[in-house]
Amino acid sequence: MDRCEIVHDNFLRRVAARDFPMGKAPAGPLSPELAVQAFRAACLTRVLDRQSRAMQRAGQGFYTIGSSGHEGLAAVALALRPTDMAFLHYRDAAFQIARAGQVPGENPAWDMLLSFASSTDDPISGGRHKVLGSRRLMIPPQTSTIASHLPKAVGAAYSVGAARRTRPEHAILPEDAMVMCSFGDASANHSTAQGAFNTAQWTSYQSVPLPLLFVCEDNGIGISTKTPKGWVEATFSARPGLKYFKADGLDMYDAYRVASEAADYVRTRKKPAFLHLRTIRLYGHAGADMPTTYLPREEVEAEEAQDPLLHSVRLMDQAGVMSAEQALAIYRDTGARVARVAGDAVKRPRLKTAAEVMASIVPPARVCKPTNGPTPEAREKAFGGDLKAMDEPQIMSRIINWALTDLMLAHREIVMMGEDVGRKGGVYGVTQKLTARFGPDRMIDTLLDEQSILGLAIGMAQNGFVPMPEIQFLAYLHNAEDQLRGEAATLPFFSNGQFTNPMVLRIAGLGYQKGFGGHFHNDNSVAVLRDIPGVILAVPSNGADAARMLRECVRLAREEQRVVVFLEPIALYPMRDVHGEKDGLWMTRYPDPSERIGLGEVGVSGDGADLAIVTFGNGVYLSNQALPQIEAAGIKARIVDTRWLSPLPKEALTAAVQGCKNILIVDETRHSGGVAEALMAHFHEAAPGVPLARLTAEDSFIATGPAYAVTMPSSAQIVAAAKGLMA
Amino acid sequence: MKTAVLICPGRGTYTKTELGSLAKFPDQGLLARFDAERARLGQETLTALDGAQSYSVSRHSRGDNASALIYACTLGDALSLNGVEVVAVTGNSMGWYSALACAGALSPMDGFTVVNTMGTLMQEALIGGQLVYPFMGEDWADAPARREELLALVDEIGDRPGHDLALSIDLGGMLVIAGNEAGLKAFEAAVPPVQGRFPLRLGNHAAFHTALQAPVAAKGRAALPISLFTQPAKPLIDGRGNVWWPGAATTAALRDYTLGHQVVEPYDFSAAIRSAAREFAPDYFIVPGPGTTLGGAVAQSLIRANWRGLSSKADFQRLQAENPFLISMALPDQRTLVTGDTP
Repeated sequence: MDRCEIVHDNFLRRVAARDFPMGKAPAGPLSPELAVQAFRAACLTRVLDRQSRAMQRAGQGFYTIGSSGHEGLAAVALALRPTDMAFLHYRDAAFQIARAGQVPGENPAWDMLLSFASSTDDPISGGRHKVLGSRRLMIPPQTSTIASHLPKAVGAAYSVGAARRTRPEHAILPEDAMVMCSFGDASANHSTAQGAFNTAQWTSYQSVPLPLLFVCEDNGIGISTKTPKGWVEATFSARPGLKYFKADGLDMYDAYRVASEAADYVRTRKKPAFLHLRTIRLYGHAGADMPTTYLPREEVEAEEAQDPLLHSVRLMDQAGVMSAEQALAIYRDTGARVARVAGDAVKRPRLKTAAEVMASIVPPARVCKPTNGPTPEAREKAFGGDLKAMDEPQIMSRIINWALTDLMLAHREIVMMGEDVGRKGGVYGVTQKLTARFGPDRMIDTLLDEQSILGLAIGMAQNGFVPMPEIQFLAYLHNAEDQLRGEAATLPFFSNGQFTNPMVLRIAGLGYQKGFGGHFHNDNSVAVLRDIPGVILAVPSNGADAARMLRECVRLAREEQRVVVFLEPIALYPMRDVHGEKDGLWMTRYPDPSERIGLGEVGVSGDGADLAIVTFGNGVYLSNQALPQIEAAGIKARIVDTRWLSPLPKEALTAAVQGCKNILIVDETRHSGGVAEALMAHFHEAAPGVPLARLTAEDSFIATGPAYAVTMPSSAQIVAAAKGLMA
Repeated sequence: MKTAVLICPGRGTYTKTELGSLAKFPDQGLLARFDAERARLGQETLTALDGAQSYSVSRHSRGDNASALIYACTLGDALSLNGVEVVAVTGNSMGWYSALACAGALSPMDGFTVVNTMGTLMQEALIGGQLVYPFMGEDWADAPARREELLALVDEIGDRPGHDLALSIDLGGMLVIAGNEAGLKAFEAAVPPVQGRFPLRLGNHAAFHTALQAPVAAKGRAALPISLFTQPAKPLIDGRGNVWWPGAATTAALRDYTLGHQVVEPYDFSAAIRSAAREFAPDYFIVPGPGTTLGGAVAQSLIRANWRGLSSKADFQRLQAENPFLISMALPDQRTLVTGDTP
């Protein structure tokens, strides 16, 4: 027999017989009305879990990971405010349901059933995924990626303090908000979770405000692997900067009392706390998981005997709130009600087409107050002597610095964060002087953890900031890539565009630094950035383009709520000359702040029709270097700078090579999985019959020392490839 | 047993065809207590009003008379239900007071006190007026853009100097707009006449559910103590679509809403019906009490919520013909479905 039915039958039988599990007497500030609210939320949670199984059996529901055994989260919700942002564990239906009772007009049973049914009416995801979440209840949706929501919870909590100093136009959290974030005892061990705890502690240790409540729901087991007895308390009870609270989640009076104390501590002290909440897991991990296959039956039954609903009935009876009979009536009524509501919910429409599924990959645009930009006086004050230098051609790093300055002057909600971005001004000086110009509040020197950098950005973006996080080197992105892929990129998708985390992630990367750094400072793979739906990847090849593209990237983030990656070719930061010393041909003037290069707009230099060299980043520089020799061979060529590597500007690329007799793709990323693969495929489809060749990097890592560039395309190779193609 | 949500009607539902309705009031002793209380207050008794030879607008539609009459008719019908399980109770506008009583949050007598007091206070103050104007066409297809357009017009007029105008009730496919004379006139001048009768002024109605009623709300709070209120026995759905669950609501909050927000903020009847449909999925939506006019607004609210795929009047009529789910107790053939009475 299904354990879900066993637990249900046990509840009916034991309540009727007044056969309750032993426990402490009710104590603490939980009022009779709140006790009933918590109990009703718990009943609805329990009944919905059972209904989800019935729906699945009938082919009408598609998700059965339940919240049974974790009903104590209802009491935690009641200890918070519905305007406190909550990043929930997937077993927290009781939290969401209890919170729904705090906001007038909510229909939690209906909403949850629509979610089980994957209906387009599901108010959070529009039928894309069974997620807990609600815009009105300030619960951003979470998927099941273990603990990946913790870093952004830290970011969101940080944003509360930051917004008190400068409130962004699109801030959504009140000034006295706190942030709650929950997870299981098994997930607490995840390195992502540990990184978030550490960042919270590191922040709090310095007395930087961080009103964040971590809630660890300790049911003692992660799928089949038990948490060592006492482990959670042992490892979390004495951490610096993180106050530890412990409560029994089977006892709603205790859970409410302790959660209230913890919330009060977090809200008033603006410091993070860790609420260790005992729970149990009923029915196994998910629908198909049978706990009796890896646990002794007696152990499973002993756990079920501690059903928190039974404890709640006992406690309310002892407190004189309601009789066991009344409680049983609520449970039965809720069951009947949910069955009726489910009958309607399963008939609601579902997603049918790819277009419908994909409709929320790109979030909706938002209206931003118009800005006239900074006054001349403000610019003069910020730039100082740099203003004069703008009359002369400059290297790319300097021009990016100026573009950032103008953007930060124009948009107060822009905040930067990263390793060494502030005081040092970045490893390559790109963010120099920005701390002096805008203060440390907007130029955040983070601890050394890329997941925390991206989490900070995501969390702040959810509260209206436009973060521009920096990853110091492209190779450093990879340990944190899920924050982009699994979290930032998916938020609009899973929330049907209701929650967004717009940002411009700056990454210094790509190869060709002369002998410096080896692979980890010259990573030339962008594959992980190109296949994330909705994420824009921009790569400039010169200073003027960089400034214009960066302005577009910020516009895309601010106004269109996009997640944008701006990949800056390190080797081109200081580049001055193309053909010979002091020719200065790779330096540009700083373009007027009004100038932008639109998303998808490619760069074309030259009008030769014998050959189109399609490239980007360092490839543009190398192709320009190669051009005189190519032309000397009688080949009239043009160079097409792709600029936007994802989504690939296909139409613009096709137009840019129109009439060209040959196409050579120069790609500094790897042969396998590199950009050239997409460009080759595109031109094969869009320009059939036009001879096509590619020059790519080898499938290699980058060497330090003299061989730094030998695995990547060179200007000589470009010349040879061009001639080869024309031969 | 069939499940039902009870939907208590608001003002304007007791008209000349309702004279004599209280003859079927199932608890004559209770009715006598209502009458005694009215007599004590120097008011005409309900029995006298209901038993009048003819209907008089000036007499029967006054707030201090109409409210108590509608309340009594509604409560009487609720007490007459037989063979249905009421799973939630809601109401429209002053029907909220009836709903409180039908759900057990006020005793029948205390409900009478609340409704009679508020009706009297409204009548004494009679601040502003109300009109009704549809945003749906006669096919009842939802028209959210037209609704937004009209609400923008209301806001624009309300911002003019000397003009008070605001949404009073979101009533299915119609908007009840309230304000002062200047505001109402400006609205009437700005919109085209439709369906031969709109914009329609509601006689003897004040600017209910707007900030103009703040003095009435204050008097109501002074007159009606918290001790009148108790925990509802049935879930109660208010004019925000919010469900007050038995045992989970504090009586203080219930009173605050009833004599605060409910009086001075827009009443979203459509949200109430949406919550009723979605959160309770009843077999029946029963409108007790006098008149049959609220049924349209219930159906329109269900259409707006796309309940069971309803998207037009024709859809509603088809579903209703197949299996009547919207029950107006003022219609004998429908009444019998929920009382067991013979028509």
